[in-house]
Amino acid sequence: MIASELLAQAAFLDGREPQSFPFFGVERRGAPVTAFARIDDRPIQLRTSIEHPDVVVVLDPGLLHTTPVTDGLKEGGLLLVNSRLPPEEVVAPASVRRATVDATRIAVAHGLGTASTPIVNTAVLGALAKAAGVVTLDAVQRAIDQFVPGHRPENRLASSDGYESVRLAGPMEHGAPVLAHRLTPLITVPEGPLATRPSSDLHTAAWRTLTPVVHLEKCTRCNFCWKFCPDDAIGFDSNGFPVIRLDYCKGCGICAAECPPRTIEMVAEA
Amino acid sequence: MAKLTIPAQELMYSGHAACPGCAAALAMRLVLKGLGPRTVVSIPACCWTVIATPYPTNALGVSVFDNPIESTGASLSGLRAAADALGYKDFHVVGFAGDGGTADIGLQALSGMLERRTNAIYVMYDNEGYMNTGVQRSGATPQGAWTTTTPVEGTSRGKPEAKKDIMGLVLAHRPTYAATLNPAFPEDFVRKVEKARDLTGSRFLHVFTPCPPGWKYSSEESIKLGRLATDSGIFPLFEAENGKVRITRKGGALKPVDEYIHAQGRFRHFTPEDIQAFQAEVRLAWERLLRLEKESL
Repeated sequence: MIASELLAQAAFLDGREPQSFPFFGVERRGAPVTAFARIDDRPIQLRTSIEHPDVVVVLDPGLLHTTPVTDGLKEGGLLLVNSRLPPEEVVAPASVRRATVDATRIAVAHGLGTASTPIVNTAVLGALAKAAGVVTLDAVQRAIDQFVPGHRPENRLASSDGYESVRLAGPMEHGAPVLAHRLTPLITVPEGPLATRPSSDLHTAAWRTLTPVVHLEKCTRCNFCWKFCPDDAIGFDSNGFPVIRLDYCKGCGICAAECPPRTIEMVAEA
Repeated sequence: MAKLTIPAQELMYSGHAACPGCAAALAMRLVLKGLGPRTVVSIPACCWTVIATPYPTNALGVSVFDNPIESTGASLSGLRAAADALGYKDFHVVGFAGDGGTADIGLQALSGMLERRTNAIYVMYDNEGYMNTGVQRSGATPQGAWTTTTPVEGTSRGKPEAKKDIMGLVLAHRPTYAATLNPAFPEDFVRKVEKARDLTGSRFLHVFTPCPPGWKYSSEESIKLGRLATDSGIFPLFEAENGKVRITRKGGALKPVDEYIHAQGRFRHFTPEDIQAFQAEVRLAWERLLRLEKESL
């Protein structure tokens, strides 16, 4: 959301006509969100969501496994992913150019956010300036100076690092029809006003940055982890040991904090 | 495996849209454990309307009724009348509303429902602000707390006014049952829900639900903060049956409020004098409660 706003501000500083707005869905800490930006040389009258973008930017690589992010992306369009993988390893539809930048590493190196919740916006915008050429790096850095409330030197350096280190690859020879194996079943909207599906049809694994790992040798089977879980994401095996249901765990860490013998460890996702 | 100390049945599904570490989500899970499946939950505009029903899904294994923010109390009177007319026996009519939708915007409807002695359970989950819309102050926000509408900058130093005494307002209506509940104490929590379930008449449950993004603390600390709030006397646990007050958790001397205050970003600007003033208010409220327990009839 902030990245799309900053992109629009940078485009404005470049003398262009930008527009930026979020998609109003579930705005929850960790929940996947979508934001749009349009950039043109003439004033933009269109006020709708973007269904066929030229560029898709993915800030959280975990989304590649849960969300069809390239749906609607134009032929010859660009997919930029925050990922440590080389762009050749990003699975995308044929005709889509791919780019990756390890914005998480850059953000952590500059002390932006924490290792579990890095603030990757400025590193990604630097990469976008290079990979898509829709704004200049200079404008991105001037936008940082004007609109980012804190850590300006660090954010400027992160944008430069993103600009320098972004890697590009052409389209796949045999592109995949969908981005990746889809974990979340797409919901078909029923007729009528009633909500008829259980929320457990929706997986919330993508919200997580830390994953609980239970060290069973120390577990006393006291049930505290189960009792305090706000997501009902903990069950038991036939011997009464806790089993974390990772499709639903949001990684809040309450189970680890409340476990009396401290048998649960919160581990950063790979 | 140790024996379960709260019911095993789960009527809140996973996959709901609450923030990680949301105590209000845990509160719903515990309320439904106590009530069982013969329940309709009326939810006004609040965090839970977003948590429960991203269309076309429902996070609850019971019927959910969405109603406008000011009308939870009125909706309970209507739902009860409908249930009675249809001859539904052992059917629980439950409101589940936030502090803004109860102590501020929904106060009139709540008062009306209590005056009519509607046979229903009203649950107010108290995250001490309008958290669903991005952390604005409510009548239930504690004095001095930072919110986006009571900032800490310029001449503003957090919320100037004290937290509204919602239990006092409710008890003035002399409902059948009213209690304070805290998900950090699940056994006491479920016991009170079950007690409310088995009584007839207007019942009110005030539930303390720490909010990681709104109070600015790390999500794993929701239970720790709940425990501190009760053990420091900031959110004492008590119940009132037909007006007779009983404190349900007295752990000897109260803890100083310091640890609770220091654990939250919304109080980061507090000076030692601010903490002292907060402490004095807490002590006074606790003494008033002790007196109420002794003197209430």
